[in-house]
Amino acid sequence: MIKLLAKLLRVLNSETDPGQISLGLCFAMIAGLTPLLSLHNLVVLLLVCILRVNVAAFLLGLGVFTGMAFLLDPLFHLIGLAVLTAPALEGLWTSLYQSVWWRLEYFNNSIVMGSLVFSIGLFFPVLLVSNLLIRRYRHHVLAWVQKTKIMQMLKASKLYETYETLSAWRSG
Amino acid sequence: MAKWIRWWGLGIFAVVAAILGCVWFLFVDGWVAYLIEEAGTEAVGAKVQVDAADLSLFPAGLTLTRLQVTDPKEPMTNAVEIAQVAMGLDGLNLLRRKVIVEEMLLEGVRLSTPRTSSGATRDVSPQEKESGMFSIDLPSLEVPDVKKILEQEDLETVRLIETLKADIKGEKETWEARLKDLPGKSQLAQYKERVKNLKKAKKGGVEGILGGVGEVQSLQQDIEREIESLKGAKKEFEEKVALLRTRFEQIKTAPQRDIQHLKAKYNLSPQGLANMSQTLLGGEIGSWVRQGAEWYERAKPFLEGAQAMQGKDGGPDVQKPLRGKGVDVHFKEAHPLPDFLIRHTKVSVNLALGDLAGMVHNITTDQPTLGQPTTFTFSGDQLKGVKSVSLEGVLNHVVPAQSQDQLTVQAKGYELTNLVLSKDEKWPVALTNGLGDMTINAQLQGQALTAHGGAQLRGLQLSAGQEGDTNPLTKALSSAVTDISQVVLQADVKGTLEHQDVTVSSDLDRILQNAAGKMVNDLAAKFGAELQSAISAKIAEPMKQLNANMAGFGGMAGDLTERVTQHNDVLKSLLEKSLPTKNLKLPGGLKLPF
Repeated sequence: MIKLLAKLLRVLNSETDPGQISLGLCFAMIAGLTPLLSLHNLVVLLLVCILRVNVAAFLLGLGVFTGMAFLLDPLFHLIGLAVLTAPALEGLWTSLYQSVWWRLEYFNNSIVMGSLVFSIGLFFPVLLVSNLLIRRYRHHVLAWVQKTKIMQMLKASKLYETYETLSAWRSG
Repeated sequence: MAKWIRWWGLGIFAVVAAILGCVWFLFVDGWVAYLIEEAGTEAVGAKVQVDAADLSLFPAGLTLTRLQVTDPKEPMTNAVEIAQVAMGLDGLNLLRRKVIVEEMLLEGVRLSTPRTSSGATRDVSPQEKESGMFSIDLPSLEVPDVKKILEQEDLETVRLIETLKADIKGEKETWEARLKDLPGKSQLAQYKERVKNLKKAKKGGVEGILGGVGEVQSLQQDIEREIESLKGAKKEFEEKVALLRTRFEQIKTAPQRDIQHLKAKYNLSPQGLANMSQTLLGGEIGSWVRQGAEWYERAKPFLEGAQAMQGKDGGPDVQKPLRGKGVDVHFKEAHPLPDFLIRHTKVSVNLALGDLAGMVHNITTDQPTLGQPTTFTFSGDQLKGVKSVSLEGVLNHVVPAQSQDQLTVQAKGYELTNLVLSKDEKWPVALTNGLGDMTINAQLQGQALTAHGGAQLRGLQLSAGQEGDTNPLTKALSSAVTDISQVVLQADVKGTLEHQDVTVSSDLDRILQNAAGKMVNDLAAKFGAELQSAISAKIAEPMKQLNANMAGFGGMAGDLTERVTQHNDVLKSLLEKSLPTKNLKLPGGLKLPF
């Protein structure tokens, strides 16, 4: 746990591209908000593996978004049901329903569909906003954070020691 | 572009996917067993357990080892235990979340096997086992004490006499009062006086005649009114008396009704013997029907499936939501199939009497989608205790609103041994040995259940009664029963799954009636004669009094008749003798009304 937190801190303060961190968070949003054992999450996992996405951001985001998903389930159900029962889309869903792969995807479930629509809809806005926030954090807040008493105490902690060690390994 | 791609990530993905695959492979069998146990327990209402499940992917198939289904009523017994269930799955449809099994093999099916631990999932209320511990309503052979009976019983005859007595008294009082109000001697005297006065006051000339006519008319009307009033009262009186007389006559037949009632009450009627088959076998057959109905009710929701409960209007079909799981929206399929279907099931049932082989077609939770009913056949030959047995059935719920289920069971050479037919203390009956051929046809159309069963029992050895029995009736019955070597039995069941009427008839009824009917009839006749004589004695005095009371109405009737006659006489004398109105002509062609 300490190592993971240390790694996250290192990622946030490293030279890692903010876009890579944001993309990791956005993929985590899809995987976390939608039911984990879904076919589309295999695609997300593949993308996380082959794209230079920040894996720590993905894992942390996955935990956070999975927790949020429990609270947002009623909303996902409403969205999913509205989408699946929309008369204009009935033809599309009926044709997808005939496909084995789409049936395996379980798209006809209101929570799967609702959470997928919700997370894909927020993918680019979250990507842009998190990108901007990371840049601002590094530019304005990082120096101030370094000087705070809490940060000073943190630096003296075992967590920071681990973090430093990891950083040394990476730079080495 | 290369900056954004890390090709070694593919290796990571492969490793992660392999780990996930391994985890799935390692745990899927346990997961499948868990799912079956959960769903089965929920459906049966008692523990369903699987010792092991083995899911294979290539080819797709599932094997279950030792599937136990607890009997919900007896948690220490498995209703069914199956040694091995093997099935081949349609892999492609499995990906579409449809369990389609082309062929399933059930081996080592055993019924009512003991469990090592309780399979109850909820408290089971102890149920009284139906064991035939009923009391047979045999005719009594002891003539009850008639004197005592008459003291205790509320006889209809006595009740009717008392009521009639009170009513006669009431009517008498009423009519005595009415007679006082009706025109009597004093009114008659007044009319006579008025007639006399009219005669005295005769005047000459037309004026005198006209004045006299007016007074005569007035008097005539008064007398006629009185006569009408008397006639009306007389008619009403006669009707009342006639009614009382009818009731009096009816009382004379009441003792017979009392005797019939008392004979039935004290079991001195041979009717009980006329339906002995029903008494001996009706309860047992009813119990089988109820057990069958219970299991059928349990299976019924699975026969009709979820889709049967919803309309299919062509649009998307939204199923009831489950909390936190969302809802599944179903769309029209090009080639619709039920979510669960086992096309062919081969079953081998190991019963105590031997092995039965069977075939079940189209086991599904959704017959409307499949469009075919579930059918089954089981048969066995040269079994222990039965020469051959076959069972055929159709469970047709293709149109749930018009469901039609049929079952035919045939057994030949069924050995009947030590079958207790009655545990009645007075007259126990047991079938020691025998052979039977039986056929049962049952049909359930919607809620209407009809079943007919016929059995030919032969080579029977029956034991009945107790040693040292002194009761002549049970002795006669026992003797008749033990002589029986063959019986033809018919049973009919009608009603619904909740309430059935079982009717059983056989030549046993005739045999028993022949054996003991005369005895009971003679006794009943003796009892009837004693009752007749005792009741007659008991009601003799009250009837005499009633008769006397009825005679009292004669005086009243005479009085009324006399009053009418006397008033008529006065009227007659007024019109014919006192006034010379004959041939009297009035001016202007006027006529007198008399």
